Amino acid sequence: MAQESVTVTTPIGAEEQTQEQVQTRVTRRGRIEKWLFLLPALLFQTFWGWYPLIVAFLLSFTDARPRGPISWRGIESYQRMFNDPLTWQAFQVTFTYAILSIVLTFMIPIFVAILLMEMPRKHMRWMMLLWFLPLSGIASTILWRYLYNAQYGLFQYIATNILGMEPQPFLNSSDQVIFWLIFPGLLLFGPGLIYMAGLQGIPQSYYEAAEVEGASFWRKIWTITLPRLRPIIAMTLTFAIIGTLQIFDWPQIMTGGQPGGASRTVVMYMYSLLSNLRYADGTALAIMLFAVIFGITIIYRTIFREDPDA
Amino acid sequence: MALFPKVGRKQPGVRFAWYTVVAILLLGIFLHLLPFYFMITTSFKTTQETFAIPPTLWPQEPSFKAWELIFNVTTASSSSERIRTLLPQPMYIYFRNSMIQVLGAMAISLPVTAFAAYANSKLQQGRTARWFFLFFIGTLMLPFAVTLIPSFLLTRNFPFPTPNPPLIPGTENPFPTIRIWNTPWAIIIPAGFNAFNFLLFKGFFDTIPNSIIQAARVDGGSEFNIFRRIVVPMSIPVFAVAAWFQFGALWDSFLWPLVVLQSTDVIPMSVAINNLIQAFQQAGVTNADQAMGASQAFQQALDAGLSWPGLMVLGILQTIPVFVMFIICREYLLKGVRLRGLK
Repeated sequence: MAQESVTVTTPIGAEEQTQEQVQTRVTRRGRIEKWLFLLPALLFQTFWGWYPLIVAFLLSFTDARPRGPISWRGIESYQRMFNDPLTWQAFQVTFTYAILSIVLTFMIPIFVAILLMEMPRKHMRWMMLLWFLPLSGIASTILWRYLYNAQYGLFQYIATNILGMEPQPFLNSSDQVIFWLIFPGLLLFGPGLIYMAGLQGIPQSYYEAAEVEGASFWRKIWTITLPRLRPIIAMTLTFAIIGTLQIFDWPQIMTGGQPGGASRTVVMYMYSLLSNLRYADGTALAIMLFAVIFGITIIYRTIFREDPDA
Repeated sequence: MALFPKVGRKQPGVRFAWYTVVAILLLGIFLHLLPFYFMITTSFKTTQETFAIPPTLWPQEPSFKAWELIFNVTTASSSSERIRTLLPQPMYIYFRNSMIQVLGAMAISLPVTAFAAYANSKLQQGRTARWFFLFFIGTLMLPFAVTLIPSFLLTRNFPFPTPNPPLIPGTENPFPTIRIWNTPWAIIIPAGFNAFNFLLFKGFFDTIPNSIIQAARVDGGSEFNIFRRIVVPMSIPVFAVAAWFQFGALWDSFLWPLVVLQSTDVIPMSVAINNLIQAFQQAGVTNADQAMGASQAFQQALDAGLSWPGLMVLGILQTIPVFVMFIICREYLLKGVRLRGLK
């Protein structure tokens, strides 16, 4: 069968045609290989990607619990979650968190990346090194909890002794807690790797042409850089929306939902349902969150259409 | 290189703007380095000093007790019973667990994802390729939260997503199931395919000219050999980026290990550290007043640095592998990303 391998000789430059011929004459061995390439990923994606998703829909209509038989209960768990005031509090917290965090922090990495690409090559190298210097998420939680401590933290010291304010409650105040959870992202802004890679792909000639036309600094960013980055921004914004609406790790370790649920997000509430072995209620809540995220993504993608030209 | 005009850089206005940009970037770098500074200095302070008002910027009496404590926590002489309950396993066990789980997941996920992306990019075309593409990245748009509970149930009785496996009809025996819950496989297997990395790989492979692959095909290479000898060497940067993204995400992942791992000999660093923080909170060692009035046995633990300095040491240890991974991958980071959105 190995002798059957494709032997096509066409003049250089007739690439389209070559491709067609090669593809129509792919050997049987080649076809088997193609499926071998795909098979592991297909299995993983089926069993750990789509299967749990379908199960989630089914599970939310049952009364699944650790012991005893499971029976269908229709939309009972949805009704229960719908009438649960904690659900609405969690959704409110989640929306506040997502909106605040996207408004305050989403644009920063884009602009830092644009500015960083302006640096001469040799300086850009060490700046990038220092800037991408990674701090593990868990490590930064430890640090910020220490800095936010209402008694002896650095922030309290700055607030009372340097700015002369009243002692601040920081994470202990239900009005401030969400802001203080987002604050580290505001302070520790960084350039986005994906944006920097995208910026590299913009032809220099565009900027040269703009310069001849006498375009200003902002004008170049607005008419060349941002439109070129647009598909990438559209993608990262989608991920940012999905990601912030299901935020869990950071508030869970920072506050655990305190005070009084003022920082308990939907996923945190779902986790507490899971801990209390209320599987059906937890999945119903997750499906509700999914419906919300799905709706927002659809609306957003119709407004912010991707890839207008390129 | 592009936003500032090439000529006329000496003009005061342009110069001012240039230095403003430099200042913003340096400020950002300074802010970025602050956490490292605080973590390292705090880890060398004594427990009493961490409660000082105003906070000290430099350890007044440098102490290595916290470092000694974290490294010696198993040896009986240095640890009281109290410390043992807070840190039931020696630190290196958690570290080893994290390493096994993260590297194991990457060892499976990177090749599996790359194979699929290559096949989708170069071996399939037209409508089929499009449908497979959607099948592979479709789950990316879904919140992880939705599948959390079913996935958790699946780790207990694979392939039945129910708390208990159903009975074989006509008998009293349940169906045989595979149980990966509470083992490292519960982290490794569900991470076997990574949709985001699929996107990265596909974006990169799409930019490899078809003519190169055809030339190899004409020479009679099998598809696997073409992939191994021609495509992989060209694609080191994208492998580096995918490895870096996945390492960062898995190393710090918290919710999933918390749900599927329970016994203290399999939990990773991230969960162990969180348990420790929670225990501290309850024991009150992070609260200055309570800490000062703590009991004798407790005082011993505190004096040994099992408070903020100890936590900072843990934070630094948790950061080191991310750091090493970054050093390994950094040369390739910018070259490896060739994304053009979700199309």
